[in-house]
Amino acid sequence: MSSSKLPPLTYKVVAECSVSKARAGLMTLRHSEVRTPVFMPVGTQGTMKGVLPDQLIELDCQILLGNTYHLGLRPGIETLKKAGGLHKFMSWPRAILTDSGGFQMVSLLQLAEIDEHGVNFRSPFDNSECMLTPEHSIQIQNAIGADIMMQLDDVVKTTTTGPRVEEAMERTIRWVDRCIKAHARDDEQSLFPIVQGGLEIPLRERCVSALMEKQVRGFAVGGLSGGESKHDFWRMVHVCTDHLPRDKPRYLMGVGFAADLVVCVALGIDMFDCVFPTRTARFGCALVDSGQMNLKHQKYKHDMEPIDKQCNCNTCKRYTRSYLHHIATNESVSCSLLSVHNVAYQLRLMRSMREAVLVDAFPQFVKDFMARHFGSDPIPSWIREALSAVNIELPPDASEDQAVNS
Amino acid sequence: MKFIIKSISKNSGRLGHLRIKESSELQTPLLLQTTKGGSIPYLSADVFGLVSREQQVLQLTLCTMDQMAESLDQWNRSLGDYVGYPDYNTLLLLRDPCEVTPSGGNDRDVVPLFTRRGKESLTAERYMQLVTSFAPDVYQGLCDADTNPESTKKRVQKSVDRTERFMQHCFKQHRELERLKDSTLLAPIVGGYNTFARTQSIKHAREQPKGTYGGYIFEGFHTNGIAATSLNPSQLLPIVDHCVQQIEDELPRLMPGAFTPVLMLELIRLGVDIFDTSYAYCAAVNYKALTFSYCIDKEEHSAFLDVTDEAIKEQFTPLLEGCNCLACQKHTRAYIHHLYKTNELLGPILLMIHNLHHYMGFFDVIRDSISADQLPALLDYVRHQNMSTDINYCIEPNNKTVGKAAMGKGFITAAN
Repeated sequence: MSSSKLPPLTYKVVAECSVSKARAGLMTLRHSEVRTPVFMPVGTQGTMKGVLPDQLIELDCQILLGNTYHLGLRPGIETLKKAGGLHKFMSWPRAILTDSGGFQMVSLLQLAEIDEHGVNFRSPFDNSECMLTPEHSIQIQNAIGADIMMQLDDVVKTTTTGPRVEEAMERTIRWVDRCIKAHARDDEQSLFPIVQGGLEIPLRERCVSALMEKQVRGFAVGGLSGGESKHDFWRMVHVCTDHLPRDKPRYLMGVGFAADLVVCVALGIDMFDCVFPTRTARFGCALVDSGQMNLKHQKYKHDMEPIDKQCNCNTCKRYTRSYLHHIATNESVSCSLLSVHNVAYQLRLMRSMREAVLVDAFPQFVKDFMARHFGSDPIPSWIREALSAVNIELPPDASEDQAVNS
Repeated sequence: MKFIIKSISKNSGRLGHLRIKESSELQTPLLLQTTKGGSIPYLSADVFGLVSREQQVLQLTLCTMDQMAESLDQWNRSLGDYVGYPDYNTLLLLRDPCEVTPSGGNDRDVVPLFTRRGKESLTAERYMQLVTSFAPDVYQGLCDADTNPESTKKRVQKSVDRTERFMQHCFKQHRELERLKDSTLLAPIVGGYNTFARTQSIKHAREQPKGTYGGYIFEGFHTNGIAATSLNPSQLLPIVDHCVQQIEDELPRLMPGAFTPVLMLELIRLGVDIFDTSYAYCAAVNYKALTFSYCIDKEEHSAFLDVTDEAIKEQFTPLLEGCNCLACQKHTRAYIHHLYKTNELLGPILLMIHNLHHYMGFFDVIRDSISADQLPALLDYVRHQNMSTDINYCIEPNNKTVGKAAMGKGFITAAN
């Protein structure tokens, strides 16, 4: 079979954890193979802030995320079409995933309103009324040409309750059909529907089963990571992965804190994205197993160690915490240096999880990670509960022991 | 530091070898890599490695690094190693040639250091203390360089007198301090545009026993930043020539600043040996890619490509056709224009990659021209670029802001 006949996305589970729902997969896209679980760094406007495509390849980044709303504004779809798509425009040879643009509309534009037709908003330029419909979103994403694209969904605040949540969920299901119909490049790009349903288990279940009837190659879980309680958060992920098909990739939108990644991989998620690693870099913070290291802190002024001795990124190979302390937030090169480290950290974390699943040692990995991550601090109860739901029991907190003994 | 002159010619300047400490042999005319806070602006060490694999000398500036002094006291490896370049030699200046140095603050006993946190008044004692903390391979002597073509005779005389006093302390400390025994001191020559004052300044330095210092730094011709790109050659060149005539051939001469390519060639012809990359930086931060040609042909070339120009929005061609830097090999004018419009950090990164690559290539050609005794031909070519008039290499500040009306037409079209 010639390669053009292959579907634009194939996904294969390579190994599964015998205890939890964690899995290691291989997703083959037009532009690259992606080994899951995977973290996708965010390159909002056609660049990951301060990092060259060559550096991302050196970090073994396999897939990047681009934002449809921003790219539609600048450079605009006409320029993207003339460039031959975003891959060529930004000179990134590997895979790209784009969102629908709807989330940014609702979060960035205060005047956005949603009705059955689409997202109504006032242009930030001339204040005229505009409309982003499911068809427009797909049209722009077709011009961008990402390997994976997202349906336009009806976005409500994660903390919204009542009938509006159900309405948004039902509308999201209806909009999938409009997106599929508008999709003009199904032989090159794969469209993912988005599971909505707020924080209500029955709605999430209904949404998953409705979306599973659509002809799609993967699924996104949306409407989370927006300020809801972590106890609700993990239960929603859990119920989605319980019902989503085993043989298709699952993408949890907007999640990227290390502990959340580990828990959600245990719950059976394959793909993640988050701006946090690069955003925190701009404020002088480096990611380490114990959490965040704020290099601006005085205690690093004379610290001649690298950020992390175990890390083999170019920043840790060459620079001390002391030097980074002095340039962080002052010299723009510090943003590049810390972004490289932080992306390296996220990608390494995902690789280690994948390797642990491959040798069926994932539960032990989770226990070791949580011990390193929380140190002597108590492990949050939602993490214990979430992991317990997939049969990983964390040892009791050291401090709890002491409390009992004393 | 060892400096050996390979050739001197009447019209073509001079070629030399410089060996700093254990470094491999560096060729002069030499281009130093200018830095901010110890880093080549916008580029991490691994990205700079994609621009050049050759050994470089970093030009570090005290005004962007003074806060690191205490940390460096506790550092037991080289200064280059601390800033991410273990294999590079370091040369420490007081002021940053990339930015205009504010005027004022000089006094009988102090030189102002304009840092991120404000002004510090440096005495000669404090200065030598800082230099000791840094332990650079080469460093400049303390001087009052707050003079320019407009400075009065009285102001110029003050700069000479103060510098003499500062340097008495620097020379003494340089001889005595154990931590500086492997460092080379450059004697500052000041005196604005006044031949008499310059002669005096040179005399003060030359009164020192031979071997006290290893080279000269010409200061007080401009106050840094893009101001250096608009110096008047007919004012500057005679006074530089006057200085060069009065110093010994055997020592290298450094002249920091963002001189235009033409002025740099003129200065090289007069016998200045060491320069820095601040011109490439000043162009990049004002959204200009260097496009002047230094490989003699019959085409017309322009000095810059302005990446803010709306005309390049859909030009899917490199910044400079035929350039083999990473920015030109992998990215297009349209993309870099987009990065400018979206205010993305990758924009100045790619411009720095291109401009540094271009300027380093320029210096390779300069050295070849000198050895072929062809510098005047190169100078003439660079000056005209096959156009009928002189090319304007002056860098104007570019304060263009992206108007919202100019953004996002494509999106609105798509959504309606």
